[in-house]
Amino acid sequence: MDLPRTQLLLPDGTDASTAADRLAAHAAVVTQRAHRTDRTFWDTFDGRLHAAGLVLVDSGNRFVLADARTYAEQAAADHARGLRRLAAIDLPTGALRERLEPITEMRILEPVVRVRSRVLPVNVLDELGKIVVRLLAEEPTALAGGDVMVALRPRLNVVGVLGYDAEYERVLALLTGELDLQPVAQPVQDEAVELTGRVVGGTSSKLRVTLTPDMRADLAAVAVLRRLAEIIEANLPGTLADTDSEYLHDLRVAVRRSRALQRELRGVFAPEPLRVFRDGFRELQVLTGPTRDLDVQLLEFADLAATLPEQTAPDVAPLRELLELRLGAERAKMVRGLRSERTRALLANWSDFVDALVTAPDDDRPDAARPVADVAGKRIGKVYRQMVKMGSAIGPDSPHEALHDLRKKGKELRYLLEFFASLYPADVVKPMVATLKGLQDVLGRFQDREVQADALRALGDEIAALEGGAAALMAMGVLVQQLAQEQAEAREQFDERFAQFAAKAQRKLVSQTFG
Amino acid sequence: MATTVAVYNIKGGVGKTSAAVNLAWTAADEGARVLLWDLDPQGAASYLLRIRPKVRGGGAKLVRGKSDPAALLKGSDHARLDLLPADFSYRNMDLALDATKRPTHGLARVLAPLAGDYDYVFLDCAPAISLASESVFAAADVLLVPLIPTPLSLRAYDQLARFVAEQVPKPRPRILAFLSMIDGRKTLHRDIAEQLAAADGVLGSTIPAASDIERMGSERRALAQFAPQGRAARAYGALWTELRGRLAG
Repeated sequence: MDLPRTQLLLPDGTDASTAADRLAAHAAVVTQRAHRTDRTFWDTFDGRLHAAGLVLVDSGNRFVLADARTYAEQAAADHARGLRRLAAIDLPTGALRERLEPITEMRILEPVVRVRSRVLPVNVLDELGKIVVRLLAEEPTALAGGDVMVALRPRLNVVGVLGYDAEYERVLALLTGELDLQPVAQPVQDEAVELTGRVVGGTSSKLRVTLTPDMRADLAAVAVLRRLAEIIEANLPGTLADTDSEYLHDLRVAVRRSRALQRELRGVFAPEPLRVFRDGFRELQVLTGPTRDLDVQLLEFADLAATLPEQTAPDVAPLRELLELRLGAERAKMVRGLRSERTRALLANWSDFVDALVTAPDDDRPDAARPVADVAGKRIGKVYRQMVKMGSAIGPDSPHEALHDLRKKGKELRYLLEFFASLYPADVVKPMVATLKGLQDVLGRFQDREVQADALRALGDEIAALEGGAAALMAMGVLVQQLAQEQAEAREQFDERFAQFAAKAQRKLVSQTFG
Repeated sequence: MATTVAVYNIKGGVGKTSAAVNLAWTAADEGARVLLWDLDPQGAASYLLRIRPKVRGGGAKLVRGKSDPAALLKGSDHARLDLLPADFSYRNMDLALDATKRPTHGLARVLAPLAGDYDYVFLDCAPAISLASESVFAAADVLLVPLIPTPLSLRAYDQLARFVAEQVPKPRPRILAFLSMIDGRKTLHRDIAEQLAAADGVLGSTIPAASDIERMGSERRALAQFAPQGRAARAYGALWTELRGRLAG
């Protein structure tokens, strides 16, 4: 049962004992012996728990998942001392794992900040001498690594006792009225993160760039590309360390988005340096591709294996081992490439190049000085029309490649909308994004199932030669069939989704808005 | 799902309330979430925990499902121990239960929505065999019976065991007993204690007749709060450890 809780700030210069003394003048209180707490707050790199309004608190050998503001416990589990990182899936079955898994998904949890506090418990009593409100006066300190300690603002946690709500309200009114204490604006862990120089809420890989329609197109490109370069840089260490598969995913998305912008707004760049960077970024994409493909196959492995009959499911174990083996080899290759001087120079030169665009002459950059809404709008209109034309030509007998090509074009449109949708009226862009998403979903499934089936077929000879290979091969046959079935289902949905995307009313709106 | 332990004896004055309060407190101290329901209209457990023996709407509304039991709970001075207080109207619990559709399931119905919030529920029961106690038998996983080492007390225990075996429908609660208020200086106590030590369903841990336990009434606190290292507090600690083991087994 959740108890009412509030956290108040103690005024500067008021320590826990002074606060207790001040309170004693207004209510019957008993001060208990002070104790120390040592909490480490954990989260994923991108702050998923923070975004969900939660904290995972480690007290050395126990995790408690709690509300980030009230610290009301939601789930808990013991763990071995000395833990440095945690995948929710590795937790023992129980409430904590159940709560964490859907939030963190494939992301690893790591310590974010450590807070040590001196806590003075002060109990408020009723006329029977019974505790009716619990107060915890806290003097926290953040540990910033090494011996560096940063004092945080002292606070007073006010916690109700079940069945004594009126007393809780009375004490709270006293504290905020008579004693003039203010509610905390920031939970202790966020203050600790901020004062130790880190980003509250983790490192996001979201684009989050604000553009205006009449901005110069080259400056808009710079704003987007700088953010993408930041994302690449932020995700590189985790990719190299293989902390979790999402670092590489986010790095690749940022590389792909950078390439899309290089292509879509090519007129804002000088052609020759752009060609070199486009080659470099393509290489980067190729370098990281096989590892990502294997990551995806392994991430989806459990779901795929779950489609097998129960007695066949264990037969695919050799396949999993083979995929893991391959992943190890591909990852080593990728890490070598990412650590190479060539990659380092590419990223450094790219950042310099993007920064220099702001002041570069624009003789050979025809679109540079044009308003970004014009340049991007023209591209959006054109790519949309190309998609309508390509999709309309697709019939029941069209080759798979026709759908794959349409998906590729759809990705172009998706990136354009991701970058520039905010520059145009929402009533035009919103249905466009929604129907594009619906179409891409079907095309994605259509192609992914084919790629997955091809990947399984390609492993056939190798699997057959392994111990238990024959059974694995037969199970893989069932999987390939299953994938073919799913691909066929996606194909059946295509006509309907495309019709929504290319509806007459939408075509008219797009043409009116983007020319 | 909570395990429900009813501290019960047909006879009064055998140390039920002391056992219920101290065992509940000890379990909470160990980290369990514990609910204690003071079913005795005299409200001794509520008194010891300094909580008014008053339930809004009384016992009748509660067992008829007209009151939300969660709204009647009171937190004790232990953060993990809550109390469903006594109420003087519990003296008419039989009448209240009789007015419901399935009288013997009245208490279980009250506890059902609370069970997910607790690891253990202790019932401090009024002494008697009545409709209310039959409802206790239906709600409890275990009847924990404090026995004072006298022939009369043993007779009452036999009566209870027979009644449960013959009259209580399945699933029946397990019956576990422990010796309470033992005075080591009395030969009779020593003899009966020895005789019972080997009996089935009797726990090895015993509770002494100690002045600390008598002091609970004036202190209005659990032993762990004012004499944690005393003989009596240690005895309840050992009893809880043994009982917890039996409950898990």
